Amino acid sequence: MSNTNITTEEIAAILPKVADTIADALGCDAADVKPDSSLIGDLGAESIDFLDIVFRLERAFKVKIPRGKIIEDARGTLAESEFESGGTLTPAGEARLREFLSEVPADRIKSPVKAAEIAKLFTVETFAKMVIRQQKATPAT
Amino acid sequence: MTAPSLADSGLADGVAIVTGGSRGIGRAIVETLAAAGMEVIFTYLGNAAAAQETIAAITAALPDTKISAKAVDVRDSAACVAFVEETEARTERLDVLVNNAGVIRDGLLGMLSDDDIRTVLATNVEGAFNMCRCVLPFMMSKRRGRIINISSVSGEKGGRGQTNYAASKGAINAMTRSLACEVAARNIRVNAVAPGVIDTEMSKTVRELAGDQITSRILLKRIGKPEDIAHAVWFLASRYSDYITGQVLSVDGGFKME
Repeated sequence: MSNTNITTEEIAAILPKVADTIADALGCDAADVKPDSSLIGDLGAESIDFLDIVFRLERAFKVKIPRGKIIEDARGTLAESEFESGGTLTPAGEARLREFLSEVPADRIKSPVKAAEIAKLFTVETFAKMVIRQQKATPAT
Repeated sequence: MTAPSLADSGLADGVAIVTGGSRGIGRAIVETLAAAGMEVIFTYLGNAAAAQETIAAITAALPDTKISAKAVDVRDSAACVAFVEETEARTERLDVLVNNAGVIRDGLLGMLSDDDIRTVLATNVEGAFNMCRCVLPFMMSKRRGRIINISSVSGEKGGRGQTNYAASKGAINAMTRSLACEVAARNIRVNAVAPGVIDTEMSKTVRELAGDQITSRILLKRIGKPEDIAHAVWFLASRYSDYITGQVLSVDGGFKME
């Protein structure tokens, strides 16, 4: 759940394959897919593309990624009411999000954060970290 | 200019999943898509004998057909996931999904049991949701797919004793239109066919209750046949309907309520 058990080496090891998978799903040039590229802002993804990307990552890395997994993991151990209130993240929720999305440049996370807009923050590295978390949760057989 | 040709529906060598395919309308859909050259995998709930009989009859008529059946309860989302994943892994393609599995439990609303309501909604509505959710990632990744939901005239027109069934089919119509919006950009078309009164086992009670007066309400003066519906499904699966999405196509012989 926490980021602390994911090393930069682990991320670097799978980033090229994650970037290729995302480029395939979005039909964009792999060279444009940088680790810190925002999927929605920089690569033109729409929310429905996340479904396609997750499906392709599942196949590429032979992991199962439950739908809505990133958002669920983003909340961590906080209850929904502790994480957000009236569609906006609570101070505790925002702190948790900044910790969880440590790969996202801090200035992109503008307070107050709307829960519905968390997905706009996701970068290529966010997806790489998700794959690693799932690999650790369900070791390949 | 290239001469137009209507010989190629674009379905040959494709793969279709049809839920509830062993009897009635579902069986006619399986037969029609198989005749168009598709590999058809259909589901059934419990009647394995009927499923095997369907496979045997179609294979006898069309020896080159690839057709198979699997017992899947579409109400069970995990079972749907397992079935679709297994199918995709084997066929490596999936062109058409026909959500046909449905049940009917007619009765006046005040007399319906919890189970009459839940079973109809779970099968007819949640079943279609479950199957759509399973096939969409694959279809999206291929940038191509067609989903055809079997609705009913009841979804649009009121009918005594059909509140549960009508609600389930109205939900299917609404889901069809909204899902079409979500996936159109990925070249996935979503449409529904709304049958009127069709000569099947499932509609037998309704037809018996209504008696002869039912045909007087049908402009074409006859009860529909399962293949009347299958032909509409074939059209919506084929390339001839490439510019049609989010529609509910009534195939009811011109049904009127008065």
